[in-house]
Amino acid sequence: MTGSAPPILELKGITKKFGSVVANDRVDFDVAAGEVHALLGENGAGKSTLMSVLYGLYTPDEGEILVDGRPVEIHSPRTAIDAGIGMVHQHFMLVRVMTVAENIVLGQEPSRWGRLDLKAARARVHELSDRYGLAVDPDARIEDITVGAEQRVEILKALYRNARILVLDEPTAVLTAQEVRELTGVLNRLKRDGAAIVFISHKLREVLDVADRITVLRRGKRVASVPRAGATEQSLARLVVGRDVVLSAAKRHGTPAEPLLAVADLHVGDERRLEKVSGVSLTVRSGEIVAIAGVDGNGQRELVDAITGMRAPASGRVRVDGREIAGQGVRAATEAGIAHIAEDRHLRGLVLPFTLAENLALREYRSPQCSARGWMRLAHLRERAGRLLSEFDVRGGGPDSYAAALSGGNQQKVAVAREIASNPKVLVAHQPTRGLDVGAIEFVHGRLIEERDKGRAILLVSLEYEEVRALADRILVIYEGRIVGEFSPDVSEEELGMAMTGGQVSRSEAVV
Amino acid sequence: MSVGSLTVAPPRTASPRSCGIAGVVLGALAWVITLPPIELRGMLASIVLAAIAAALGVVAVRGGQRKLGVETIIVALLAVAGAAASAKSSLATVESVFTWSALAAATLRYATPLLFGALGGVVSESGGVINVGLEGMMLMGCFWGVYGADLLGWWGWGLLVAMLAGGLLALVHGVLSIHLRANQIVSGMGVNFLALGITGYFLEYHYGPNGTPLNISQVPNVRLPLIQHVGFFGAAIGDANLLTWVGLALVPALTFFLFRMKWGLRLRSVGEKPRAADTVGLPVLRIRYTAVVVSGMLAALGGAYLSVGFVGSFSNDMTNGRGFISLAAMIFGKWRPWGALWACLLFGFGNAMSDRVSSVNPTLGTLFEALPYVLTLVAVAGLVGRSRPPESDGIPYERE
Repeated sequence: MTGSAPPILELKGITKKFGSVVANDRVDFDVAAGEVHALLGENGAGKSTLMSVLYGLYTPDEGEILVDGRPVEIHSPRTAIDAGIGMVHQHFMLVRVMTVAENIVLGQEPSRWGRLDLKAARARVHELSDRYGLAVDPDARIEDITVGAEQRVEILKALYRNARILVLDEPTAVLTAQEVRELTGVLNRLKRDGAAIVFISHKLREVLDVADRITVLRRGKRVASVPRAGATEQSLARLVVGRDVVLSAAKRHGTPAEPLLAVADLHVGDERRLEKVSGVSLTVRSGEIVAIAGVDGNGQRELVDAITGMRAPASGRVRVDGREIAGQGVRAATEAGIAHIAEDRHLRGLVLPFTLAENLALREYRSPQCSARGWMRLAHLRERAGRLLSEFDVRGGGPDSYAAALSGGNQQKVAVAREIASNPKVLVAHQPTRGLDVGAIEFVHGRLIEERDKGRAILLVSLEYEEVRALADRILVIYEGRIVGEFSPDVSEEELGMAMTGGQVSRSEAVV
Repeated sequence: MSVGSLTVAPPRTASPRSCGIAGVVLGALAWVITLPPIELRGMLASIVLAAIAAALGVVAVRGGQRKLGVETIIVALLAVAGAAASAKSSLATVESVFTWSALAAATLRYATPLLFGALGGVVSESGGVINVGLEGMMLMGCFWGVYGADLLGWWGWGLLVAMLAGGLLALVHGVLSIHLRANQIVSGMGVNFLALGITGYFLEYHYGPNGTPLNISQVPNVRLPLIQHVGFFGAAIGDANLLTWVGLALVPALTFFLFRMKWGLRLRSVGEKPRAADTVGLPVLRIRYTAVVVSGMLAALGGAYLSVGFVGSFSNDMTNGRGFISLAAMIFGKWRPWGALWACLLFGFGNAMSDRVSSVNPTLGTLFEALPYVLTLVAVAGLVGRSRPPESDGIPYERE
């Protein structure tokens, strides 16, 4: 079926260099009508660069692009659009203060004498959204709609421009499980209509779910193109990383000892003083990983903030090894032995314009080794950073490199290194592998288990079912600010999913 | 709440918002009744009205409309102060200051150059380029307008030369801040000093110590034959400068352009999220250049109004900070043309009042002169509603 049809789009021998770095090294890629061709690879493997070349954002150093068998020069997004290429960028390209319809028609507005014809725009949006089941409200402002709806708008933008080749860059990174299912439905409809779809991802499972063919990039080179039939997560992971990968960290059970973190009847409000955490009690013992599983926005952020001292709880207790820290701020929490791998490494985890040495000192800069009488001990900080960077296998920079210059996976390793280096009793890991590729996930997971076995108490907050199951000794499900159930790691996905969405939990399993 | 449409009494359960607005109106009234044509002497009525206004302000604050409520209370306090000033002055003094028609005319005169500058600011910043260089562009228009009108003998040519000069200076700002991605504030300030130097040098070079000639062709006033002699309106707008009308007409025109035309949509998208504009194939940098140059041309027209339109000559640093004030008016007006107009009128009113008050009380006049600046501070501090600049205002664009 696929493979026999002639490709609509062919990339031949694309090479793109940035200085001495070769981001794409003679990459071949093609996609046919009615086909979903996945482009798989780790962060920094060159997927996005390749697509930027295709979309005219970068000019390739070598190679050519063929559409319908004819070579085309694509030197700007405009020419890419004219060639029938549409792109759904990973970070949505939408103007927040404008409406859905305005965003969709921007650049190719229906108009009379320059006057916008919003009625025509709206009608066209309706027509397209009906045809492909992409429900949007043309008059809603982007800032008022959900992330899933924003993605639908992006797809509509491409369809409005008559794209026959649709490129989706990490489309599921921001979606809920339900939205991913809807997206898959939309892609199937587009396929039936003869669209060619390029699906970029670093998640093995979803690539297996949606793709007809899979091309793997590693360090800028194409290492393989395989049909979905016969591919497995394990085989893909080997291609992506270049060696065998332990997908779910083979972990022995922990040997929990004395409780280190004790949270009792915690109530926390958000910025608008709405209660987000309603009476959470939990205990994490030394040598144990306790996972908080739940759908995003069920109070995880507020719970983590209250435990790490970033937010004062309305009431309740937080004790670290017997020491009360609730509402006393981050320094008290740090001194009591809490470390915190933050959910968002850009916003909270790292100071991007700082060097790695500075970033690595943020938790411990006050210790006598790091500073004395108000003076930073720069030589020590640099030496310490060098040690940590090699211990945590951070690549792409030394102590004096800026954090902004690293790839996401390496940035996360820096954040993890800093927190573990502070030798905490309790490690709060909030989404520690968000946006990371297989190799980096493997590293972080392995490290968390290692730290557990050293006797730390680890509280893992995650939205990923796989991660929760792979790491946790106990799973607590949070729903609307309450712990609604406790499970062992061998719980089925259905059961966990049910509890996470507020479904009935059998009494015996519910914690009281 | 009010059932019959004929109900005169206010509804029983008024919303905090309408309470606040009613308070502002009553507060203003407390002062207005001491002025012509009502000229209520004594302060009792004013105090009562102001007290009610303040009470309504408190109600508004309690009801959650904190900002509006506080504003209402401030208005009430100012009204009492105003009423006290009226009460202490003689009736003749009050009448000489508050000749409404003359005040209105003066307000328009003062507001016109600001308006051009502020609209220029709206254009530039809608496209994402902060234009602190308005002052310099205005100054360029000021001098080159006179030069053009003098050399070519007609004010129309003067305006054209002014716009050319302003546009050229804006182009310098554009190259620095768009192409070379310099800090836009620094680039704008640089351009201001550049303009000061250029105009100062050419003033000396062309005209020497005698200054610009006195007989240059000036932008005419528009005499409205029908209402020129009709009381208030005749005196207020019956004989206003052509450029004043042009400026006023530009407000709805620019609003239509920005919010109803495709080019406005594109310009705003470039100011909000240039990457989004780029990925749908819009030429981001070209659009930004155009916006900045147009902005400079508009500012230059404002400057030309001062010299070719109003005074008929040029003197060093003639704009005297009006470019900055117009920038403030643009912020005060929340980056919108209509908002900018109201802000310019308010600032112009402050100037006009200070002129009038100075003639009877120089000290108080100086105080009034500070009014626009105080208002600017208030605006910048964000007390007048939340103003939101375009998301990418001031951020140079580059493709990763």
